Amino acid sequence: MRFFDPHIHMTSRTTDDLEAMARAGVRAIIEPAFWVGQPRTQAGSFVDYFASLVGWERFRAAQFGIAHYCAIGLNSKEANDERLAAEVLEIVPRFAFKEGVVAIGEIGYDEITPAEERAYVRQLELAREHEMVVMVHSPHRDKKRGIRRSIDVAREVGVPMQRLVIDHNNEETVQDVLEAGAWAAFTIYPHTKMGSERMVEIVRRHGPERLIVDSSADWGVSDPLSVPKTAQLMLERGIDPAWVERTTWQNALDAYAQSGQIDVEALTAAPRVDQRALYHDNSVLRGQAPRVDAAVPN
Amino acid sequence: MSAARALLQGLLDARLAARARGWLADAAAEVAGLAPGPAGRFPTLISLASRALPRGPLAPNADERGQAAAVLAGWNPERWSILDAGRAVLVLSRADLASEAGVAALEDCFRHADLGELVSLYRTLCLLPEPQRFAWRAGEGCRSSMRAVYEAAACDSPLPSRAFDDGAWRQLVIKAVFVGAPLWRVHGLDQRLDPELARMALDLVDERRAAGRRVQPELWLALGSHAGERGAAALERELAGDWAPGRAAAALGLARAGRLDPVRAALAREDDPLARAAMESALAGAHDQFSFAPLHGLE
Repeated sequence: MRFFDPHIHMTSRTTDDLEAMARAGVRAIIEPAFWVGQPRTQAGSFVDYFASLVGWERFRAAQFGIAHYCAIGLNSKEANDERLAAEVLEIVPRFAFKEGVVAIGEIGYDEITPAEERAYVRQLELAREHEMVVMVHSPHRDKKRGIRRSIDVAREVGVPMQRLVIDHNNEETVQDVLEAGAWAAFTIYPHTKMGSERMVEIVRRHGPERLIVDSSADWGVSDPLSVPKTAQLMLERGIDPAWVERTTWQNALDAYAQSGQIDVEALTAAPRVDQRALYHDNSVLRGQAPRVDAAVPN
Repeated sequence: MSAARALLQGLLDARLAARARGWLADAAAEVAGLAPGPAGRFPTLISLASRALPRGPLAPNADERGQAAAVLAGWNPERWSILDAGRAVLVLSRADLASEAGVAALEDCFRHADLGELVSLYRTLCLLPEPQRFAWRAGEGCRSSMRAVYEAAACDSPLPSRAFDDGAWRQLVIKAVFVGAPLWRVHGLDQRLDPELARMALDLVDERRAAGRRVQPELWLALGSHAGERGAAALERELAGDWAPGRAAAALGLARAGRLDPVRAALAREDDPLARAAMESALAGAHDQFSFAPLHGLE
């Protein structure tokens, strides 16, 4: 099977992960801009981070046969440093329309503060103006209220619900998101957020419509193979294979291809790799023979 | 309006659908009205061009390429994309290009550019007024190991051979073989060869042979008439080798150094068609940089 993991922070993962992902069938990924584990202190750090998402990280993934797209935005945590946030919001439009940027994201609420809301609204307006998809991060604390508010504010700004993806849902929030007409994404984490077993039951209960499974794997304890593993569990527990395909490939593709930045035909063709290429002065190789035009299993 | 901008606009008018043409006209008008310097929506429009203009090659025909050469000798948009041409029109629409503010605005755009934008911007540099002001920036492109970026800065443009200092120029030439770019497409190469560049190329030949690796055929281009005794010996060794593209390049290289006797002798015993063609061409006096085109990319 082939998989689309529409939320993963590859910049903090290794080439071992990329190889394992390709082997497990992950063919396409989206890397949304987020914080980096500790707060950044200057706008230039965001410039280089955004540049790496549209540049080196895309190249690195392609070297393993994985199509890498990204989302650009100021995350909610760092929106609370208002002096810095104002500078970063000036930078966001300089990266948000580059090739392969499929959404504004991940944006939304963390503590649901006025500063977070100002940054969220500014970026929703940018998305509305340029008909971009929006990837919304939902808060860990007071999640249910945070999700309702993020939907209400997006609606007020005028972002169409079919271009709104609410991430990190659980059993308690999914109904609100689906009723609003937005896409409901689920992050499968081994210990927090959502486990694969619970995900199986959510799909069984709600059906595949507008449900999306992702890994959100990052610099913490997380699993870049969450999507293929959850798909496997769904199949073992009797979920219709067509539903599995919708929730681990097609829905993410449908949601984010609205950006016009995904060449669906190329993505559905069999991927090939050429590791001889270089990005700036870097190769992903350290002396070993490059794989050239090798077929990859995803 | 510059002649280059008018030519590119004409090429695009013939290739764009009404909607894309309208977007470009609006964007160019917006750029023309911007205040001097880096502020404003210019970089965003350069990015948005990828969403408004179609993908695909510009594919100028022979007549159109002739017009380009008439506008600027050494400029060849043969490998440009439609997007490159659209972005060049936007750059050339800036009203401040002759001033320091215009240089600062372009530099700001370069520093935030993605791969595709870098390619378009580097390709545009030679069309700007007083392009030698951008020699350092073009040199940055020629230091890139991303082949697409290197080629955009180094190939099919008169800027490097005219504006680079000797150090940057020699680095450009040697770098071409490192990134696998077509050295034969570097404009003005044959007119700017020297003994120091030949020495650098021959050192690289020795390095490759010491490592048991083949010499890229186009590396021999860098010797020109400055091969000297050391170069002649290296070329004759290649001519006697068991790799046909190497023998072909060595024949051309020896002819460039004015040493035809070994080429004649080699032709008498050569049976590989590629090598024979190169030897015959070399003996007939056709051994300029373009004669190496069939050897590009052979490893």
